[in-house]
Amino acid sequence: MSDTSVIHDIGYQRYAGARLGRAYAVRALFEHGLRVAFGLGRSAKAKIFPWIVVGLVTLLAVIAVAVRAQTGETFLPYQELPSVASLLVLVFLAVVAPELVSRDLRNQTLPLYFSRPIKRSDYALAKFAALFTASWLLMAGPQLLLFAGSAFSTGTGAGAWAEARGMLGGWVVSALYALVFSSVSVLVASLASRRAFAAGAIVVVFMVTTPVVGLLISLGGDGNLAKLAPLASPFLLPEGVRVWLYHADSLPIGSFGPLYALVTVLLTAACTLLLLLRYRKVSL
Amino acid sequence: MNLTIAWITLRGLLGRRRSLLLLPLPLILIGITAVGKAIGAQPDELAEDVLIGMGVAVLLPLVSLIVGTGVLGSEIDDGTVVHILTKPIPRSRIILAKLAVATLVSAVVSAVPMYVAAAVGGVADLGLALAAACAVGALAYSALFLALSVVTRRPVLLGLLYVIIWEGLLSNVVAGTRSVSVQHYVIAIAQKISGSDLIGTTISATVAAVMSVVITVAGTWLAVQRLRSFSVAGETS
Repeated sequence: MSDTSVIHDIGYQRYAGARLGRAYAVRALFEHGLRVAFGLGRSAKAKIFPWIVVGLVTLLAVIAVAVRAQTGETFLPYQELPSVASLLVLVFLAVVAPELVSRDLRNQTLPLYFSRPIKRSDYALAKFAALFTASWLLMAGPQLLLFAGSAFSTGTGAGAWAEARGMLGGWVVSALYALVFSSVSVLVASLASRRAFAAGAIVVVFMVTTPVVGLLISLGGDGNLAKLAPLASPFLLPEGVRVWLYHADSLPIGSFGPLYALVTVLLTAACTLLLLLRYRKVSL
Repeated sequence: MNLTIAWITLRGLLGRRRSLLLLPLPLILIGITAVGKAIGAQPDELAEDVLIGMGVAVLLPLVSLIVGTGVLGSEIDDGTVVHILTKPIPRSRIILAKLAVATLVSAVVSAVPMYVAAAVGGVADLGLALAAACAVGALAYSALFLALSVVTRRPVLLGLLYVIIWEGLLSNVVAGTRSVSVQHYVIAIAQKISGSDLIGTTISATVAAVMSVVITVAGTWLAVQRLRSFSVAGETS
């Protein structure tokens, strides 16, 4: 080693550009989540499963439009599309929710996210919002298709306006379903680091209560038990709110409508709160 | 069949904390039957809604799916399958060992609670038949999902599509698809064994038995063939 060692200036520079901050990071996380949900910007393999489900729900809408155009009967009203498609939505969530949260756990990228300006709650809420939006789009898109099909076949402006109002009601119902479904499934998925297990767990949580509610409804007859039983099933809870809001007759809930709305709000709030609590710890 | 592989698989499956995840479903099944019985449900309602609607339609396929794709799929996922593949053991023996473990575990986890739930609900005769049919169903499902886990990288999702959309949605609407639905084989076999009229389906017990054998053999054969020319690829997408 020579006596005159020098430190060479090889041109390292500090970052001098604009720092976009927390809000930008959250928005980027949300947008990325939404793109991941449909496999956009990823390989064809990642697109297969989400788009199978999107295709099936769209097929449902296409059949409804075709039946309506041929026979003039409303085969599938806007507001009933979410409940008819609810099993498909469940499959979509079982595919997408683990994709959004379990991969970060598995690849241990969470410490990287949390060393950035975003808060832990930002991460959790951005993922939840992305999942909610994706599942809402899954139902709202085909409803738009239904609207396009029916508006062109009515021909008159007043008819098209009535259809548009029907579609907006359908979008509200879709949002109810998306809220309940995505809040439960993002919480379940955030507890499993393997995508396969997360997908299985989501399906188990949703499927387990359904036969039980069926039993309780048939046991209850006309009593209060039959009117309260659907509260226990995430499939039927948003349907109950819809019956209350729009006076539909798909589910006998008697005068318990406000209770359904309250339980929906409480369930969503509880799931979101638990999700925020869960992300106070990085690992499981 | 290779006992060492079977033993390692069983330990990998049950030796970790997550094997406890297999417990809640059977407990819920038994609990719900007890509650239903307590509030005065009739045997036919219990059999149709709980034992079939929850036990055969949810518990059996989902447990078989998680176990069946777990025995080989998790090793493929984390790459340790290479250690088995490089040993001088015929691939058919590897598959048979995995299939035996998967069937054993899913059969125990689904058949035992089915019998207990039926006994609690006061239909113990039907319970024995259902337990036996569940064991047959566990074998067919395991072969199917084991084959899926070698054929594709996302076996659980494909399995869920089959269970939810094919067996759950389609076979209720289009009766013809029931002849390719393990769920209905289980119901038909249980109905044949017990002679009970509490449960029933449209396909005959003969069709069910033959198709169960066909699915089991075809699934095992396909899995062996795929594992013979298995290429170990890195994690993609």
